[in-house]
Amino acid sequence: MGLKVQNVSKSYGEQLAVDNISFEMNKPGVFGLLGTNGAGKSTTIRMILGIIKKDSGTISWNGKEVERKYVNFGYLPEERGIYPKIKINEQLMYLAKLKGMKKKEAEESMDYWLKKLEVEEYKYLTAEKLSKGNQQKIQFITAVIHNPELLVIDEPFSGLDPINTELLKSAILELVEKGTYIIMSSHQMASIEEFCTDILILDKGKTILQGNLKEIKDSYKANRVELITKADVSKEIKDEGLIIIKELDNRYEIAINDELQAQNLLKKLVSKNIEIEKMEVKKPSLNDIFIEKVGDK
Amino acid sequence: MRSLFTVISFTIKDMVKRKSFIISNLIILLIIVIGFNIPNWISGVTTEATKITILDNEDIFEGRLESLHDQFLELGYDVQVDKTSTRDQIQEKVKSGEMSSAIILTETDSGIFFEYLIDSMGLGTTAPTEVINAIQLTYQNMQLEKLGIPEDKLPTLNMESNISVTSLSSDETSSNILVMMLLSIVLFYAIYFYAYQVSSAITVEKTSRIIETLVTSTSPRIIVLGKTIGIGIVGIAQTIILILVAVICAQVFLPQETVQVIFEMMKISPQMIAIIAIYYLLGYSLYAMLYALTGSTVSKPEEVQSANGPVAILAVIGFYLSYFTMMNPTSSLNELAAIIPISSPFCMPFRVMMGLSNINEILLSIAILIVTIIIVAHISIKIYSSAILNYGEKINLKKMFKMYKSKE
Repeated sequence: MGLKVQNVSKSYGEQLAVDNISFEMNKPGVFGLLGTNGAGKSTTIRMILGIIKKDSGTISWNGKEVERKYVNFGYLPEERGIYPKIKINEQLMYLAKLKGMKKKEAEESMDYWLKKLEVEEYKYLTAEKLSKGNQQKIQFITAVIHNPELLVIDEPFSGLDPINTELLKSAILELVEKGTYIIMSSHQMASIEEFCTDILILDKGKTILQGNLKEIKDSYKANRVELITKADVSKEIKDEGLIIIKELDNRYEIAINDELQAQNLLKKLVSKNIEIEKMEVKKPSLNDIFIEKVGDK
Repeated sequence: MRSLFTVISFTIKDMVKRKSFIISNLIILLIIVIGFNIPNWISGVTTEATKITILDNEDIFEGRLESLHDQFLELGYDVQVDKTSTRDQIQEKVKSGEMSSAIILTETDSGIFFEYLIDSMGLGTTAPTEVINAIQLTYQNMQLEKLGIPEDKLPTLNMESNISVTSLSSDETSSNILVMMLLSIVLFYAIYFYAYQVSSAITVEKTSRIIETLVTSTSPRIIVLGKTIGIGIVGIAQTIILILVAVICAQVFLPQETVQVIFEMMKISPQMIAIIAIYYLLGYSLYAMLYALTGSTVSKPEEVQSANGPVAILAVIGFYLSYFTMMNPTSSLNELAAIIPISSPFCMPFRVMMGLSNINEILLSIAILIVTIIIVAHISIKIYSSAILNYGEKINLKKMFKMYKSKE
């Protein structure tokens, strides 16, 4: 059940946009689709949504081949777009009706989401009168108003202030709790780490890393230490033969090869009675993994 | 099907709610109302009788001109007869503006000589022929009376010829060439204007990026057809409303005789109305599909003009091919214009009304137009499906061809 993408490829003329990618979503949750610009994310998303046809492979939803007219998907594209000169309630109603909703249920769903995202006061205004952030929230509503089984969100938090980011995050979590399958594409690795259980990283149309995010991170050894002290300890760190990656106001990021080096450093600082506020051994972040996999190419 | 109705309904509401649409319609309606009132205003301005002094210091008419005062007033002239002034005095009065105009009568061997004096000749100023004719007739009657012809016989001597005009043409439409040429122009502008709206609507959806959300909700084919049908319905409704307002204004503001003359000129049979409606719809569909194609290739609003240029040129060629050959409707070029799809919507209604095309030619023209629309619609929708998601690089003909050949 759920979404199954198998050996899917797509070319535009001579250019291979997506090369034989496969992944599955067997239960509701958030799946992270990552990649640099031009990696093939948008093409993959458009094939899943049935907007463009694949050259080969299969994309199935609940065991059936995906066709636009048979699926109930929602989409928040990376490039934001709403009708600038049409009232919010009218365009939301239009898109809900196109998704097959009846007027009454569309009205109820519209009111619910407008309230949830704190934009109900703009219901009867034209979109051009709204701030960019509020326009983005309206567009999120266009993607979820029909209660989609699968929702694709491309850079959902870009351009939002921290308060609105939290608002949207709570909306996404609510959808997951309700059993929605979500594919999230983003360059904000912190957001991916916060929401996604599984990820796939694309580079030039090819899959370069995929799997359970926790398992991927666990497969990496600890490679740095974050240290905050009351005194300057740069000499002690260097004496241990370690390299300081970053240093600012007695806050250090130190490269290590194994956890033993961190323990030895800690012992040394304690023996010298240096007051330590924080010391944390860290594994590579998703950002580090992404840069490692994609950055050097 | 439900999606199609949703797109049609949304397109109609969007169009009729636009401020530009409302304002332009109000202006057109105002122009119609004002236009039909202009004759009344002109006649209202000219109801004041023109003052003319007639100098008859030789008393040629023996006081008979005074009795014509009421008759002259009906003709719009307030005529005063002066028997005492000299020619120079009258001339001075006209020159100084004391008199607006004067007619100086002099009897010669060959009859009456009329000298019309006016201070300055404005554009369209002519001698008051009605007054001169009436004076001339009075003079003739006086001469005939002097010859002893009884007064009751005078009207027969002055009897005007009653002329009856009968057209020997096989139909009554030959006098309507101007009306039909006017209709062709109206058809062209209506087709062109509304088809262009399709391009605008599609461009707005693409440049505002709403199209990506739309195509996940319904197929590109439904979007194009819905927009085309919706704008077409608005066009028909607007045209009908404007015609109805014009008819009502004509009935209310114009004299009944004038209305009858206009309606006689515009007399169009129900079959002719059907032909005009068919060609309007087909012509609109053809150009709307072409504009849908060009509208979908635009990435930025400023590219609209250049993208739509080729269709505009095609439409103008079609129109002029039709319009100029109307001067010689029996020419083979006009026959050709009635068959070629880009010009037939503007040309064939004209030929039908002129009685120059038979049913087979009409059916052939319509069939060619329908086949062309189907082909253009197929190509347009196919390219539209790819072009709407294509941003950045300008879409040229080569790229369009690639898009058409692709599997999207």
